Amino acid sequence: MKRFYFEKERPAIESFHVPLSRRASVRDVVSIGFGLLVVSYLVVFYFISVTGTFIRDPMQIDISNMFLPPSIDHLFGTDFLGRDIFSRVVKGTEAFFIPGIISISVSTTFGLLFGIVSGFYPRYSSKIIFYVLNIIDSIPRIIFILIIIVLFNPSIYLIMTFVGISSIPKIASYIKAKVELLKNQRSIEAARALGLSQATIIFKHIVWLSSKPVLIIRATLGMGESILIETSLSYLGIGVQEPTPSWGNMVAMGKDFFFQGKIWLSTIPALVILFTIMGLYLLGDGLNSIYNEKVSR
Amino acid sequence: MIRFVKVFFREALNMLLLIIGVTALLYLLFNIMPGFFPGKGEGLFGYTQLLRKLFTFQFGTSIITGRDINGIVFPAFRNTIVLTVGSIFFSIVIAVPIGIFSAYRRFKTYSWPLVIFSYIMSTIPVFYLGYLVLYIVSRYTGVLPIYYPQGSGRGNPLLSFMLPILVLGFGNESISEIVRLISTELERVMHSDYAVASKARGESVLWSSVNEGIMIPLISIVFSKIPFIIGGAVIVEHVFNWPGMGRLAFQATLDRDLPLLIVITFLSVLCVRGGMLLKELALLYINPHEK
Repeated sequence: MKRFYFEKERPAIESFHVPLSRRASVRDVVSIGFGLLVVSYLVVFYFISVTGTFIRDPMQIDISNMFLPPSIDHLFGTDFLGRDIFSRVVKGTEAFFIPGIISISVSTTFGLLFGIVSGFYPRYSSKIIFYVLNIIDSIPRIIFILIIIVLFNPSIYLIMTFVGISSIPKIASYIKAKVELLKNQRSIEAARALGLSQATIIFKHIVWLSSKPVLIIRATLGMGESILIETSLSYLGIGVQEPTPSWGNMVAMGKDFFFQGKIWLSTIPALVILFTIMGLYLLGDGLNSIYNEKVSR
Repeated sequence: MIRFVKVFFREALNMLLLIIGVTALLYLLFNIMPGFFPGKGEGLFGYTQLLRKLFTFQFGTSIITGRDINGIVFPAFRNTIVLTVGSIFFSIVIAVPIGIFSAYRRFKTYSWPLVIFSYIMSTIPVFYLGYLVLYIVSRYTGVLPIYYPQGSGRGNPLLSFMLPILVLGFGNESISEIVRLISTELERVMHSDYAVASKARGESVLWSSVNEGIMIPLISIVFSKIPFIIGGAVIVEHVFNWPGMGRLAFQATLDRDLPLLIVITFLSVLCVRGGMLLKELALLYINPHEK
């Protein structure tokens, strides 16, 4: 009887004291490995494209080599102006890398702030904050972005900032639930009894020790979402504009030649998008199932 | 019964407040930034005029084309509703069996490809999926019409609904989430004490677990996915040249047609919050003992 009692009352934090190797299953290891592969090639591509070494010039037009299929010389083939698709894929990481990081940092910072404030002071401030956040949450994201494009100029940095703003409500509600759960727990009570200041309790015990996994997971998923948004907007023609390569407008440009049977023009960027987003989502899911308590044994 | 009425009124009040908040935000932004719409710069009076127009569903005229907005928006709204609801049903039909199948531990090795498939489907860019499907259908089968019959008497509109619904149902990013949610929830319920007890009595564990475990999370995730599905509808309508609200919103953005954009935002917020209302009522119907 007593054993059941302890099983029920066991706090969620306790699972962090189990070593990671015992918590991970084969599936999680595969997911996280794939995700880390994706993250590493994103970072490598970004640095290659910033320094401009190892690749051909992505803007170099070569009319004599149009529509070459993938080969050793041109790894992913060439497009309708003879430009090398591989170097355009590498260069295309610039379109979302820094904007995506801006979007993640906006959403996590403000989500954390609003979540903590509304979790600790649930009476009035929580109601006001969540009223405003619900307003943002109930406008569909693409329509929100369209409104922003009508009002301001369609720069990708601005759009990604607002993508970050539109994913604040999710993070804030996660953090709020977490704070409400932790607030009355014994470890936090003990920390308060030891005389630690409110700031230490919030930033060390609640943010750093308990909410870190949630934030990392949300950041990975947020990067995937911002890549998806960037590609969709570039596809619609309101994101990154044509001479500058981005994965979305490469698919959009290639679609005109899809029905002529030259499918690699849009298939290769689409596959790169697919692998990247899948890797980031799998990374998030794998971390999620490691950090949360495993249900089955 | 009284509880349903209570929840209905609470959620309806919530919805009203949020719609007022959204329109106030839009009115404020549109007043600050350049661009014209009727009622601009008239302060609170202009805002009440706007609210009166929206709540009586007399939307006025578009400032670009001069046409009546009601006549443009409502057919487009109907098309988008058909697309959205159809694709939600399609996603559920695909995702729930995969989730249930992968919840059984002894099927783990067989269900792994299915789970991978669900991940691929929910991360493939939906515009690319649209072109792929169009290419395959138009080139190799020719069974389904690939575009919406504009005008009258050409083709069957019901058949032309099929392809966009299929593409949006596969590509609306919710399949993998539903699969993951159902498999973890079902696994948890099937290993709980009462499920083991009912197994010991010789009853079917799956059916009771499905009833107990997955209905509530399934309903909450499906209704909370509505904004994302409307967002996906914008792109799918662009691919299939589908005369829906997303394409209208895109056109209004390019034209800077602020009155039309306000109306479209109002209707989509109405959809999202109406979905939330339905979700609360459905959750109350399934589990009346919940607070």
